[in-house]
Amino acid sequence: MKIPILETRELRRYFPVRTGIFLRKSGDVRAVDGVSLKVHRGETVGLVGESGCGKSTVGKTILNLLKPTSGQVIFEGKDLSTIGRAQWRLLRRKMQIIFQDPMESLNSRHTVGEILEEPFIIHKLGSSTQRRAWVQELLKKVGLTASSIGRFPHEFSGGQRQRIGIARAIALKPKLIVCDEAVSALDVSVQAQIINLLLELQRKMELSLLFIAHDLSVVRHLSDRVAVMYLGQIVEEASSDEIYQNPTHPYTRALISAIPVPSPKNIRDRVILEGDVPSPINPPSGCRFHTRCAYSKPDCQRKIPKMEEVKSSHYVSCLRWRELPASMIQIP
Amino acid sequence: MNSQTVQQWKRFKSIKRGYYSLIAMLVFLALSIFAELLINNRAILVKYDGNYYFPTYAGFIAGTHFGLDYAYETNYRDLKKHFSGQNENWVLLPPIPYSPFETNFLENSFPPYPPSISDQHYLGTDIAGRDIFSRLAYGFRLAITFSMILLACNYLIGIAIGCAMGFWGGAFDLLFQRLIEIWSNVPFLYVIMIVASVIIPSFWTLVFIMVIFGWMGMTWYMRTATYKEKAREYVEAAKALGASNVRMIFRHILPNTVSIIVTFIPFSIATGITALTALDYLGFGLPPPTPSWGELLSQGTSNLQAPWIVTSVVVAMTIVLLMVTYIGEAVREAFDPKRFTFYE
Repeated sequence: MKIPILETRELRRYFPVRTGIFLRKSGDVRAVDGVSLKVHRGETVGLVGESGCGKSTVGKTILNLLKPTSGQVIFEGKDLSTIGRAQWRLLRRKMQIIFQDPMESLNSRHTVGEILEEPFIIHKLGSSTQRRAWVQELLKKVGLTASSIGRFPHEFSGGQRQRIGIARAIALKPKLIVCDEAVSALDVSVQAQIINLLLELQRKMELSLLFIAHDLSVVRHLSDRVAVMYLGQIVEEASSDEIYQNPTHPYTRALISAIPVPSPKNIRDRVILEGDVPSPINPPSGCRFHTRCAYSKPDCQRKIPKMEEVKSSHYVSCLRWRELPASMIQIP
Repeated sequence: MNSQTVQQWKRFKSIKRGYYSLIAMLVFLALSIFAELLINNRAILVKYDGNYYFPTYAGFIAGTHFGLDYAYETNYRDLKKHFSGQNENWVLLPPIPYSPFETNFLENSFPPYPPSISDQHYLGTDIAGRDIFSRLAYGFRLAITFSMILLACNYLIGIAIGCAMGFWGGAFDLLFQRLIEIWSNVPFLYVIMIVASVIIPSFWTLVFIMVIFGWMGMTWYMRTATYKEKAREYVEAAKALGASNVRMIFRHILPNTVSIIVTFIPFSIATGITALTALDYLGFGLPPPTPSWGELLSQGTSNLQAPWIVTSVVVAMTIVLLMVTYIGEAVREAFDPKRFTFYE
């Protein structure tokens, strides 16, 4: 058994809801509610789910941009809740994040050179001439011209801007990068370029990626393993091929059947989800998916499902997975 | 330079009255720095017996030095008359040869004297016989300096506290919010009156009191702006890189709130000038004989038989405040974030 580079154990992150003039706490938004996840060295794990299911919160909690409410994040065997500020600074070199909207994640008042130099300045690496050289090297790595150095983020196209974001993330040669919807804001052809760039960098730098996305088809190209999230919890986890060929959880089936297939002859059983995502302040009792599940039985409202192994390294959290009809979904 | 800044500058320039007001204001400021050379009872340059003298900066030169029959300071206007007709000795006087403190009595009459070109009292004199133009110019310099120092102090404190409130939030924010609300309700004019009745306020005590009661204004804007910027992803990205709080604030958040600060500057200057004038008008400001617009205004309104006093000061104030407001308006327009928001 390999030791994972990153592991989360029962990770929880609640946001307090405060009401009244004294701002008394009246409840919690349970954005992340018990997520256990492993990422191995050099591996790409896709984390998918619809908006508001807490997948970005998982990413930010891993990087301690948000403090976990409970649970552990273990990176290279170290429990991150126990380490001090100075150690965190060193750790920042090893874990990085790429955001969804590069226009937002790049400071519009800084030039590309200043943006890319910042990681080295923060960690007091190199002289200014050396840093310049490193910045040039970074630009080359992500496929931007050296002349970009003096320009501002808004002078670039969306794809180029995301390349700048990637360059910043890889500047300190991290081991793990959390890609928080890194390609969701880009159009399809640019998405492909950015994904290829990420794959290439992953190969060269032995990166591990936690790829957060709402688009299953993107994740499929990229991931070794996929975890599906619903309302703050992981409902199914399997290798990428397995989850597409043999989706077990009703929610996963619904997601996969929603991938558009560009063929007029394609007639599929669509699993259509009804209703809205329930509020994470008062999540449904029992199985959280029972309010929208086509197969739900009264039992589902009471019992909380546990992660069960369908077959080796395919886990699902559903009470009735054995009884469900075989998947009718054709793989596009 | 940041291209957004370039655009904002272009936009500012395209708003003509704001742009020209700025130029005029800068010219006034530049001239007021050299006011001693332009408006003074000491000559700029004196040539006497083959020697050159610069009384503006040289200080006291006794009348006997230039062959006059008195030992007190030379009256250069008289010296000029005295030298007239001599080729080798001459006096170069400033365009307005009166100091703001100097009382000039004309023969056979009492001040205030009406405007007169031959006496070089272009706006007349006040009731003590001091040249109004000179007092206006020095009063302007004082008022502008006062409001700039006031602005710098207010903004320094206001931005620091507002930024800290927005950045740390929580209990600190809550505490300061309530504190500022209470503090804002102290009637500061009364405080100044009380202080002024105990001690005679100097320039710096006045600045001090007004800063103590004036720093709160900026905190609200900075607090909100910091809250907003802090939640944006570029700050999170910096945090993920391991940036310290100081770096996040000074390198990322503050530069992005600069447009708010810049927008408020002209209006704060106008407020500063008005406040000082109001205090001087009421007699709680700077002690006499400091040249001040408020003091002139109160003289003018109580001596309406000499309408040139009140007219000059009201016109001067109107022009200056109008220009500052025009600048402020143009800055606000140029920094309007709606212009630079675009959706992809």
